Amino acid sequence: MKPIVEAKNLNAYFENFHAVKNVSLAVPEKSLVALIGPSGCGKSTFLRCLNRMHEEIPKARVEGEVLLGGSSIYDRKLDPVAVRRSIGMVFQKPNPFPGMSIFENVVVGLKLTGSRDRMDQVAEEALKGAALWEEVKDKLKKPGTSLSGGQQQRLCIARALAMKPPVLLMDEPTSALDPISTAKVEELMISLKKSVTLIVVTHNMQQAARVSDRTAFFLMGELVEYDESSTLFTVPKDAKTEQYITGRFG
Amino acid sequence: MKAMTEVNSVGSARKSFDPIFERGLKFVAILVMSLLILIIFFLYQLAAPAIHEYGWGFMFKSDWNPAKLIFGAYPFIHGTLITSLFALALSVPVSIGTALFLTEIASRQVAAVIGFLVELLAAIPSVVYGLWGLTVLAPRVRVTVQPWLSEHLSFIPGFSGMPYGVGVFSASIVLAIMITPTITSIAREVFRAVPHAQREAALAIGATHSEMIWLSVVRVSWSGVFGAVVLGLGRALGETMAVTMLIGNRNEVANSLFSPAQTMASLIANEYPEATNPLHIGALAYIGLILFGISFIVQGLARRIVNRVANPSGGGA
Ligand SMILES: Nc1ncnc2c1ncn2[C@@H]1O[C@H](COP(=O)(O)OP(=O)(O)O)[C@@H](O)[C@H]1O
Ligand SMILES: [Mg+2]
Repeated sequence: MKPIVEAKNLNAYFENFHAVKNVSLAVPEKSLVALIGPSGCGKSTFLRCLNRMHEEIPKARVEGEVLLGGSSIYDRKLDPVAVRRSIGMVFQKPNPFPGMSIFENVVVGLKLTGSRDRMDQVAEEALKGAALWEEVKDKLKKPGTSLSGGQQQRLCIARALAMKPPVLLMDEPTSALDPISTAKVEELMISLKKSVTLIVVTHNMQQAARVSDRTAFFLMGELVEYDESSTLFTVPKDAKTEQYITGRFG
Repeated sequence: MKAMTEVNSVGSARKSFDPIFERGLKFVAILVMSLLILIIFFLYQLAAPAIHEYGWGFMFKSDWNPAKLIFGAYPFIHGTLITSLFALALSVPVSIGTALFLTEIASRQVAAVIGFLVELLAAIPSVVYGLWGLTVLAPRVRVTVQPWLSEHLSFIPGFSGMPYGVGVFSASIVLAIMITPTITSIAREVFRAVPHAQREAALAIGATHSEMIWLSVVRVSWSGVFGAVVLGLGRALGETMAVTMLIGNRNEVANSLFSPAQTMASLIANEYPEATNPLHIGALAYIGLILFGISFIVQGLARRIVNRVANPSGGGA
C-alpha cells in the first residue's frame, strides 16, 4: 500500500528540550496506526507535528519532513492553516465550542472556509460518519455542551469529519470517557478507516491491539518499533517493546 | 506519659486560642459593615432637610441656585452620566483591544511589560491626571481638537459650542485613561480564563489566529467583558478630583460635548466647603446619597457578573 502520511527524520523541540528524536514512519492510506508508549515519551508531540499544531506552542520547533500524499506539509509556501484544514484532529478531552449548537459545532469549520452551501447535508453526513446522527437528529439546535462526554467526543469527530479530511489524528480520544462510550468510539474508529486514514495515540495497549492495523512504539522520544499490530503485540523484535507490552514498565 | 501530657497541653492551649481568633475576625467584619451603615445613616441625616423639601422630584429638577436656595440634581446626574458614558465609549475599544493583544498576541515578556505599564496608569494619583489634563490636554482641545471636530462633525448635535478647553470632552478623555487599566485587567482575566483546549479546537479545524480569537475567546467572553465594562463605569461615576479640575464647573445641563458641566462628585467637592445653609448642605448630601446608590448598584451588578464568569461552577453565587 502506498503511504498517505510519511514522517522523515522528524525532530521536535520545546525550546531546548528534544521531545521527538529523528522519527521516520509511513502510514498506509485508509489504515489505522496506533501510537503507544509510556506517558511523556513524545506521542502527542509527534502527532501534533503531523498537522503543524506543534509550532503553535511558543518556542517549539520542528525539523525534518512530513509528507501528505507525497508533498511536504512544511513547505515554506504552505500556510499551516491550510494543512490543518485537510488533517483533522480530535483531542483527549472533548472540546466542543461552548455557546454553539450541535449543528453549529459540526459546520463551524465549513463556515470558516466559506463553503456554506449544502451545509445541512454535510452536517448530516458528518454526524452519521461519527455515529451520532440517530442520537441528535431531533435536537440539532441544542447546545453541543449539553451532550454526554462520549457524545461530545463523537461531536468533535463529526466536526473534524465535516471538513472531509483524508487524515484524522486522535490524541487519546477515549481516555476521558467511560467504558461504554469508549467502546462506541472504538467501533467508530474501525468503521471510519474505510474512508479516512487514522493515526491514534492511545495509552491503552488493549485498545491499540483491538483497533489498529499497525502500531508504533515510542520511548523517550524515539520510535523503537513500528510494525503490523498482530506482529508487534505477539512477536516484538525489540526487547524494550516486549518489556512494555508485557507490562514491565510504563 | 510525660510526652503525652505535653502534647495535650499544647493542643488545648492552641485550641483555646481558636474562639478568640474567630471572635476577633467576626468583630472586624462587623466593624466594616457597621461603618457602611453609619456612613449611609450620616449622609441621610445630613440630607434630610433636602429630602423632606423635594422628595424624589429632586432628581428631575434642573435649577441649582444656592443664593436663592433652589436646588435640583438633574444637571449633575446628567453631567455624571454623560462624562462617564463618553469615557466608556473611548476606553472600551482600547481596553478590550489591549486585553486581547496581551492574552492572544504578545509574547509572555512583552505582555508582562505592557501589562505592568497599563497597571501603572492606575497608580497615577487622580490629582496628577487633573494637572496633566489642565495644562496639556485642555489647551489642545481648545485650540486644535474642538475646532477641527466642530468643523467636520458639527452636523451631529453635541459637537458644536464655544471652545473653552475644560468641559465634558476633556474630563471624559482623562476619565477614559483612568478607567482603562480597570477594564483592561479584568477583560484580560476573562480572556485568560478561556481553556487552552478551546483555542486548540479552533486551530485544529483550520482557523486562522484572528478566527481563533473570535471563535474561542471573544465569543464566549461577552458577559465577563460586560462585567469589566460595568466595573469601569463604576470607577468613572465616582471619580472626583480629576473631573473637578477639568469639567468646567458650570451648574447647568451640558448641551454639547464641549460644554463646561458639573458631575455629582465635582459639585460636592466644589460647594460643600462653602455651604452653610442646612438646605444647601442637605441638597449636596442628597446628591451624595444618589451617587452612592448608583455606584452601589453598578458595582454590585459588575461584581456579580465577573464572579459568575470567574467561577462558573460556583452555583450561581
Ligand atoms: N508545552 C510543553 N513545553 C515543554 N515541554 C513539553 C510540553 N509539552 C510536552 N512537553 C514534554 O515533552 C515530552 C513529550 O510529551 P508528550 O508528547 O505530551 O508525551 P506523551 O503524549 O507521550 O505523553 C514530555 O517529556 C513532556 O514533559
Ligand atoms: Mg499525550
